[in-house]
Amino acid sequence: MRNKAYFKKQMADAVAYLVLIIFAVIAVYPVLQVLSISLRPGDRLLSTSLAIIPEDATFAAYKELFTGRPFLLWMRNSILISFVVTATGVILAALAGYAFSRFKFRGKNFGLLSLLVTQMFPATMLLLPMYIMLVKVGLINTFLGVIIIYSSTALPFCIWTMKGYYDTIPASLEEAARIDGCTQFAAFYKVVIPLAAPALVIVALFSFMTAWAEYVVAAQVLQDTGLWTLPVGLQTFQANMSTEWGLYAAASLIVSIPVVVLFLALSKFLISGLTLGSVKG
Amino acid sequence: MKKNIFLISVFAITTFFGCTKDDRMHIRIWHQMRVEERVVMERQLARFMESRPEIRVEMLYKETEQLRNDFVIAAYARQGPEIVYGPSDMIGLLATLDVIRPLEQYFDEDYLGHFHETAKVWYEGHLYQLADKLGNHLALVYNKDIVAEPPETTDELIEIGKKVTVDRTGSGRIDQYGLVWNYTEPFFYVPFLAGFGGWVMDEAQERPTLNTDANVRALNFIQELRDVHRIVPREADYEIADALFKEGRAGMIINGDWSWGGYISAGLNIGVAPIPRVSETGLWASPMVSTKGFSINENIDDDKLTVVLEIIMFLNEPDNHLEATREVKTFPTRIETYDHPVVTEDPILINSKRQIDVGKPMPIVPELRAIWDSMRPHYQMVLNGRKSAEDAARDMQLLAERKIIEMLE
Amino acid sequence: MLENNRKLFPYILILPAALVMIGVVFYPFIYNVVLSFSNMSLRNFREWQIIGLDQYYKVFFEPSEPSFYTIFLKTMIWTVANVTFHVVIGVMLAMMLNRQIKGKSVFRTLLILPWAIPQYIVALTWRGMFNYEYGSINLIITKYLGLPAVEWLRSPTEAFLAVILTNIWLGFPFMMVIALGGLQSISHEFYEAADIDGASAWQKFKNITIPLLRPVMIPAITLGIIWTFNNINVIWLVTNGGEPADQTHILVSYVYRAAFGLYRYGYAAALSMVIFFILLIFSLTFMKKTQATKAAY
Repeated sequence: MRNKAYFKKQMADAVAYLVLIIFAVIAVYPVLQVLSISLRPGDRLLSTSLAIIPEDATFAAYKELFTGRPFLLWMRNSILISFVVTATGVILAALAGYAFSRFKFRGKNFGLLSLLVTQMFPATMLLLPMYIMLVKVGLINTFLGVIIIYSSTALPFCIWTMKGYYDTIPASLEEAARIDGCTQFAAFYKVVIPLAAPALVIVALFSFMTAWAEYVVAAQVLQDTGLWTLPVGLQTFQANMSTEWGLYAAASLIVSIPVVVLFLALSKFLISGLTLGSVKG
Repeated sequence: MKKNIFLISVFAITTFFGCTKDDRMHIRIWHQMRVEERVVMERQLARFMESRPEIRVEMLYKETEQLRNDFVIAAYARQGPEIVYGPSDMIGLLATLDVIRPLEQYFDEDYLGHFHETAKVWYEGHLYQLADKLGNHLALVYNKDIVAEPPETTDELIEIGKKVTVDRTGSGRIDQYGLVWNYTEPFFYVPFLAGFGGWVMDEAQERPTLNTDANVRALNFIQELRDVHRIVPREADYEIADALFKEGRAGMIINGDWSWGGYISAGLNIGVAPIPRVSETGLWASPMVSTKGFSINENIDDDKLTVVLEIIMFLNEPDNHLEATREVKTFPTRIETYDHPVVTEDPILINSKRQIDVGKPMPIVPELRAIWDSMRPHYQMVLNGRKSAEDAARDMQLLAERKIIEMLE
Repeated sequence: MLENNRKLFPYILILPAALVMIGVVFYPFIYNVVLSFSNMSLRNFREWQIIGLDQYYKVFFEPSEPSFYTIFLKTMIWTVANVTFHVVIGVMLAMMLNRQIKGKSVFRTLLILPWAIPQYIVALTWRGMFNYEYGSINLIITKYLGLPAVEWLRSPTEAFLAVILTNIWLGFPFMMVIALGGLQSISHEFYEAADIDGASAWQKFKNITIPLLRPVMIPAITLGIIWTFNNINVIWLVTNGGEPADQTHILVSYVYRAAFGLYRYGYAAALSMVIFFILLIFSLTFMKKTQATKAAY
């Protein structure tokens, strides 16, 4: 009996490994191609050779990136904007999601639907009125302008996700806390928030990525080169039919590092054992 | 954690949203220059600012399409840069949208007399752009290590092409092609359309002229290059063609003046020649020739206008033109420079000039956009074997006429 | 006092988010509604007028190649295929990563890469990989699978398939992360109890995992559908703007073309409104079916 169960687990693990390996290869291969482009001299996007490390590999692009271009300035701007957007997204969504999950109030369903509705309009068409609006309120060419827009882009998803996750946390937990003398807010803050850590991680990652990768709005709103974010800066390597592919690829790889680092750092909360599994029941 | 985030936000808001006062007059140029060109102009502007410390000129790069869209949106909201620098084919559009200013009121005839005719871009009776670069045109580039002498006619092109299209390893895969280029894109097809005696629109630049015998023959010609003579790859977009040529796996490429510097710095031993005459007609295959230059935002303040004119005139001084020509191999527009050795002795520029002379000016009317969009799908259907050249020529014309009506609604 | 507080409390919680959303979204939305009834275009750019429903009429009845309805169908295929694979692959990988196996964190890191790297360059890299002669995909097909090479980018169906593959690659890590978070809300005790009852793996998945994952996945799926429906970037890059022969467009590509290609702003706004209503009707139905606004307990 025990042997059979053990065997079954072994089999399942083997299948899991196989699937993970296959998908890891699929996930990594195109990224390796980007690595290959970044090492290729002569700005060639494509090559007829399939070798990942080209014969004439060079680190020239990386060197140029850090010494010849204001890459670190763009990085600083991007990190700054992304962190503010992340903080805004996490805090506002943690609050609003809780209201949508726990309370019955007039306009609740309308509110939830309105959030979705804001995502339905093709972004292309929002650019012109958004620009006019930012001009009117004097936020053109400011970080605040893009931060507000990014926050509004990220919030609908964040609020819905938080609401969905709160829904899986039994309300009895807070009630117990309130009986112990906590205020409503304290019960939320001390009991619910720690349990919702995985959702907060999802929301944080999503908000971060919204700001980190966005290009169109940033290019339109930020007009001083000193304010440029990474995606806008990267665009300067790209010219109609004469893109500096080496630089572009090298920068792309470096740009993805903070995302991976953030993900690794947050993973602890995403999949720690200290969640519902151990508290519920 | 929360506290940290809060602190970071406060820090962010206080440090970066505060304004630093800069008393200098601020002039912005939006452009779409590639890096080599950009560097030259930046250097020239630095010299300008040195002599005029009260002025700060800033260049902002945007990709061509983005430049046009962003500028239109900004100008619509009464904002945007003082100067927009770009290719002449956007002028008709910007002028129709009323977002750039007529320039003939600011530059007298005397001054304009120093420029090549094509450099003064007129549209509906007004001068809207003063160009500093002539060309932006395609030409035939050949790798001298593979092709010793460039072909003069399409028959020679095919002959040489066949000779250098080889399967060295006998693997059944071609290792080196005679000719590569981004042939699925109409802009890269147009030279041959002209070579067979056709063109995209009539003299008045009002009606498309695509349902012609010339178009049919040219469409068939391209298809034959690939399927009968087999000197071009089955599938080639810009990047594939570029990669093959840079790797030395193609004898010739048809590409624009923007690309030549890259081939030289990639270590290729290249020559530039006009795209060959079409043997059947004896006519040159004529690429579109356009210009790149300066236009002024409709919404500019009067006090900035004088400075902007000064900057444009400074950048258009003959020496500054020559500096760009020397470094990026583009053709200048100041006629004083035409007998300077930088222009007359460089083999690439000499051949570039030969190509310009047999090229045709690119229409600047907005209708051209509708024509590109109409040619592309049907042209590609011909290449896919899903449509005959005759049907495609007819359908291109119909679609273009309809799109122009839609556009001018 | 307490009663009063109880009523106000949810509004206080929502207020900050509501302010941001209304502040940013309200004006552009109204602006577009107005534009959709106007003649704003190349010739009437600064001085446009309200002309009524003409632009809407054009959206449905103006001849175009391919027609509105064909593109609509393609948009549906595009959306359904992408979101389905995103969710299936994402949930599957998340479940494997949730097992007690070694090297989990390495896999997790590698699997998130498609989300982390800028889309622009990988989309073009994929375009290269689909090249007929030199692309690695055809090479694998011919060398290792012994099948004939596929003309990925020259035939409409294959090109469409190629874009969908690319977008699936780009999108699965996002769903994986969400599913991974969602799985944490499921107590081990449920599975242990099911084990005692002798439930099969499939039964456990169907009766425990799916229902408890639902509250977290439904919002992601709903928004995933909305975003994918309007996602123009990947298609534009991989097919080089709709190639071959404009056969790989989705509805929103036409909005882009109309607005920034031909400067038909009124028309583009009307088309946007149509897209908006399609998505609205869809979301209302979907939410009713899945009871997304209701709590799980």
